[in-house]
Amino acid sequence: MCLWLNFEKNCVATLGICTNKTSSILTTEAVNRPFLYPVSKTCFRSRTSARVKMKRSKGGGDEEAPRHNGSAGRRKADQQQSDGDEGGSDIGPADLQDDDNDQGLRREIRSKYRDLISSVQQNREDMLSPSNNKLTEVLEEANKLFKDVRQAREAALDAQLLVVATDLGKEKASQLFSEGTAFDPTAFAEHLLSFMGLNRLEDDEDEQQNTANGYLPQDAWHRLARRAECCFRTAPSFHYMMGSFYAEPPPPKQRIERQRKAPSKEAKRIMPTQLKKMEESQQEATEKEVERILGYLKSYYQDDPTSPISYYEFVIDPSSFSRTVENIFHTSFLIRDGLARMYLDEEKLPCIAPVEEGEVEAGGSTSRKQCILSISPKIWKELIDAFDIKDSIIRPPNTQND
Amino acid sequence: MTQRKRPSSTQSSSQRRHTGNLVAQDEDDDATFTQPSTSQVQRGLEKLTPAQVDQKTAEVVQYFLVKDQKKMPVRRADLVKHVVKDYRNIYPEILKRAARTFDQVFGLKLVEIDPKNKMYILVNNLETPDKASPVRSPSNPKMGLLLAILSVIFMKGGVVRENLIWNTLRKLRVDPGEKHEEFGDVRKMVTDEFVRQRYLEYVRIPHTEPIEHEFRWGQRADAEVSKAKILEFMGELHEQDPKTWTQQYRQAHSLPNSSQASTSSSSQR
Repeated sequence: MCLWLNFEKNCVATLGICTNKTSSILTTEAVNRPFLYPVSKTCFRSRTSARVKMKRSKGGGDEEAPRHNGSAGRRKADQQQSDGDEGGSDIGPADLQDDDNDQGLRREIRSKYRDLISSVQQNREDMLSPSNNKLTEVLEEANKLFKDVRQAREAALDAQLLVVATDLGKEKASQLFSEGTAFDPTAFAEHLLSFMGLNRLEDDEDEQQNTANGYLPQDAWHRLARRAECCFRTAPSFHYMMGSFYAEPPPPKQRIERQRKAPSKEAKRIMPTQLKKMEESQQEATEKEVERILGYLKSYYQDDPTSPISYYEFVIDPSSFSRTVENIFHTSFLIRDGLARMYLDEEKLPCIAPVEEGEVEAGGSTSRKQCILSISPKIWKELIDAFDIKDSIIRPPNTQND
Repeated sequence: MTQRKRPSSTQSSSQRRHTGNLVAQDEDDDATFTQPSTSQVQRGLEKLTPAQVDQKTAEVVQYFLVKDQKKMPVRRADLVKHVVKDYRNIYPEILKRAARTFDQVFGLKLVEIDPKNKMYILVNNLETPDKASPVRSPSNPKMGLLLAILSVIFMKGGVVRENLIWNTLRKLRVDPGEKHEEFGDVRKMVTDEFVRQRYLEYVRIPHTEPIEHEFRWGQRADAEVSKAKILEFMGELHEQDPKTWTQQYRQAHSLPNSSQASTSSSSQR
């Protein structure tokens, strides 16, 4: 960093200050003798013998690029004054005061410029509105300030302000000369709020404030979104109608069995209440029947365990078709509960046999097969003829509801 | 399934022998995917059964539909890498068929929004209803916000500085600096999500300090949003005839009707 100061007026010295990382070397050509004076990087002091007293500088943290320009250089030292050794300087008091005034004034000017610039930038939309003349006011303010500008730095700020102002002016001009009505985003926002259903509170004091003037309903944005649907040609999103699948293990088999019994119960419940007694008796009757048939099966089997019992011979009642169907129905319960089993003999005819006590496994892991039997009177008759069935193994029950 | 794969795998190996430059060594890079010529497509089609081509077309259609849920554009590179894979030599044919499926089955249009980067989106091909749709599907409030932003940009000539948008949003009680109860991080939604969905463009203005950006309409907005309808909405809000905004009106009805909007050249202040 190299800094050259040029003192005019009373001082005939040309001061050049070179600073490097570790030390600053001050060379002065004082009135009579030049000398070198190493100083620390944070400050430099002048040697008094040269009748040149430098003001203390804070130095160091100045990033501004130095100019090899005499007048511009002076401000560097000036700017870095804080509590400098002003007293007793051989640079004439008049100069110091001028420096001070200038420096204080210049700081003021710079700060005012910066205020103007920030005001233009912050209130851009405000200034753009054709209803006011704020931009002109800013420019007039700048003109006033410019009268006091002496140094390049303030001039640079002035130039920056001008750039920002002309940018704004250009936009304002384009607004004015565009065909048709200008578009004001503020008015648009207000209208939009009304559209969304803003409930304006009646509060006269808050006219100036724009914040929290009323509150928006919950569905405000949804209202706007609905209106937006008309303007957009969005492709509707693809979603599975039933949602994604929810992986669940398949229900265990027991549920199926119970479900088979449950519908019959529910179906019975639909019947009118007067008949409740009879329902239950029917239920019990079924169970009784099933047990009875089991008894027949077991006794028949025990008579001759080796010879297989033909299924048809077992269930068919040659005198009544309906009873045959009932027998088949009751026998199916036995099979379902694992109390009897059906198998095919050598001639591929179905046979039935009771399951031994130890082998009974009620809902167990034995592989179960299901089949559906159908029988019609014609088949029934054919079976009777084919198997030459004379009488039924299963005696008809005493009480009969046909 | 295995039967289908067998011929395709033998095919790809044979094709690699024949058409080495088509199957890119670096399959990730779309730049090396050269669009196959019509004759190559023909030859490719001959080697495949119609069922295979239909299956691949269906996969492409499904891919698009799922990707469209988030409204992100589909890149050709991704499509080729993940779906088309070995069928890339008949890629133009597959895409053509997929576009036809979209049109005839779904009423959607497959639009290429970026010819340079090869991005595609789906757009509704059916006429938009004049009033709100009778189907009471849940509406997305983000669309409302988007409409507000797009309207401002359009009415301001197509380009606005970001500060204008932020200030307008603040007036609508949506502060980009704070977390909004419905939208969350508003700034991120506007500058990131909407931009990635190609509804908006957020570009840096050069030589600005501090860095400023400007907003424009994105490619998806150009394809999906009707300027005329926006102008209509403006007319409703401001209780003015849309024709009073002559420049915007001209722009909105530009293609066939550019001669119509030449009325009232006097500037209204």
